[in-house]
This record gives sequence, C-alpha cells and structure tokens, in this order.
Amino acid sequence: MRQLNEQLEKRHRLVMAWNYEKGEQWLNELSGQGLHFKKGGLISNSFVRDESVRYTYRMDYQMGKEGEKLQEYLDLYQDAGWEYVSSFGLTWHYFRKEWQPGEEPQLYTDRESLVMLYKRLQQVFSIMMVVNLILMFVNIINLNTFFTEGLWTLGIPLLILYLSLFALLGFGCWKIQQKVKKLKLHI
Amino acid sequence: MKEMLPLTEAFYYILIVLYEEPSHGYGIMQDTEKMSNGRVKIGAGTLYTALNTLLNKGLIDHYPVPEGTDSRRKMYAITETGEQVLEAEVTRLEELLQVGRQALITRKGEAVE
Repeated sequence: MRQLNEQLEKRHRLVMAWNYEKGEQWLNELSGQGLHFKKGGLISNSFVRDESVRYTYRMDYQMGKEGEKLQEYLDLYQDAGWEYVSSFGLTWHYFRKEWQPGEEPQLYTDRESLVMLYKRLQQVFSIMMVVNLILMFVNIINLNTFFTEGLWTLGIPLLILYLSLFALLGFGCWKIQQKVKKLKLHI
Repeated sequence: MKEMLPLTEAFYYILIVLYEEPSHGYGIMQDTEKMSNGRVKIGAGTLYTALNTLLNKGLIDHYPVPEGTDSRRKMYAITETGEQVLEAEVTRLEELLQVGRQALITRKGEAVE
C-alpha cells in the first residue's frame, strides 16, 4: 500500500463492450493526469490520485474464471509483468504496468488471438440476444393482461424496452463483426 | 492434424520451446524472445489463449511441477501429436524456403548476364 489513507475519486463513463479499447484509452489518459483506476462498474469508476506514477492499463475479457483457474490466469499475466487491478462482472479483468515512454505494451500480440477475443465477446452478445427474445415472448404470453388492460402504461413501454435492448445487442454484434473483418483483411 | 498448419508464430515458438523441454508460461515467453533475438514478444493474452488452444487440440499437456520449484507456475510439455505437427510444419517451411531461395538465386543469375 502506497498510502494508507487512500482517497477514492469517482469518474463516470459508459464504456461499450465492443469499444473497450476506448475505455482503455480513457484510463490511460487519466493515469497520465495522476488518476489511477482502481475499480470499475458499468458507468461509475473509482480512482486513486498519485502524481508520482503513471500506468498503462489494459482490459481483458475472459469467461468462467474462478478459483484455481482464475489464479492460474492472473499468475501468468503477472509473470508477464502485468499487475492485476480488479475485475468487473467476473468477465472483464483490468491489468496495468508502469508506463514507459515510447512503449505500448499489449496483451494481445497477434491477430489470431485478438479475433478469438472478439469472437468470445460476440458469442456472449448472441446468447444475450436469444435470451432477450425468449424473455420478451414469455412476457407477452404470460402478461397478456398488461397488453389488454395496461397497453400504453406497461405493454408498449415493456415492448420498447425489450426491442431497444435487442437492437443494442445486435448493434454490438455488428460492430464486433466489423472489427473481425478488418483484422482478417490484413491476414 | 494438418488443419493446424500453418502455425502462427506464437504457436510455433511455444511448440519449439516445449520440444526442447517442459516449461511454464514465463519460460516460454523468455525463451521465445531469446530465440527470435527479441523480435517475437508473445503478449500475456496471446500466450494464455494459445496455451488453452494447444491444450484443447492435444498438442501440449500439463506436466507435473518438479519438487522444490515454484509450484505456483503450471508446467506444460509437448505431446506426440504436438511433435508430429511441429515436424510437419518444419517440413512445410523448408519447402517454402527452398522455393524462395531458388527464385532469388535465379533472378540474381539473370541480372548478371
């Protein structure tokens, strides 16, 4: 612990999973200003202020890492010089190493492994889309009273909510597909 | 087995390092950098993904950590299938090199005339 009375500062930003590189960039810029990321959520993020250091942050997406598997994963990254910072939602893991001028250390150093990362993300998005669709239909069938008695107060808003979520996930899938295509064109 | 070819540089170096002797992730990273004179640096995410893929395809396997060493680090060894894939890849690369060298020599020969 560098300081015992660490003061956490909050910064807010919504980072889209298909644009997580933008999130990394944001954390790196803030670290350059002396604000170092500690823990994050969907929008709210905690930072520690320390003007004496600067880090390069990287985000990684890994599913189903618990117990021994998680430790093994973190140990390997640590061996490669990455300090584990924290995780969000069991799937997004944040790492950092001290910033060096002229260096841009990456977790993924070839296209093949980066394509695999994007595909993992895409898979989750597709599953969420299907689940979302099933929930929508189940709701429509089971809650038909909402649609007859409260069509405008509940039925339509609920439908719009489901459809927007569906569209957002679909947009994410498409965005990731564009990234995969771009990488594959260079192979 | 043939569908693994051509190997990516990361796969190739991992198999080469393990062909010599069982090692852990950290050792693979260091040996790869040394062997390629600093050209190939396998990132942590790429190495982790590659090790899992190679394990799933049966090209490498877990190896018992020798007593008295850091048991925290998982060790890996190449399997027989892995050796076969590596040998097939070296043969393939030899052919590519031979054809390439031949083409360069022929061209140079013409230029002299």
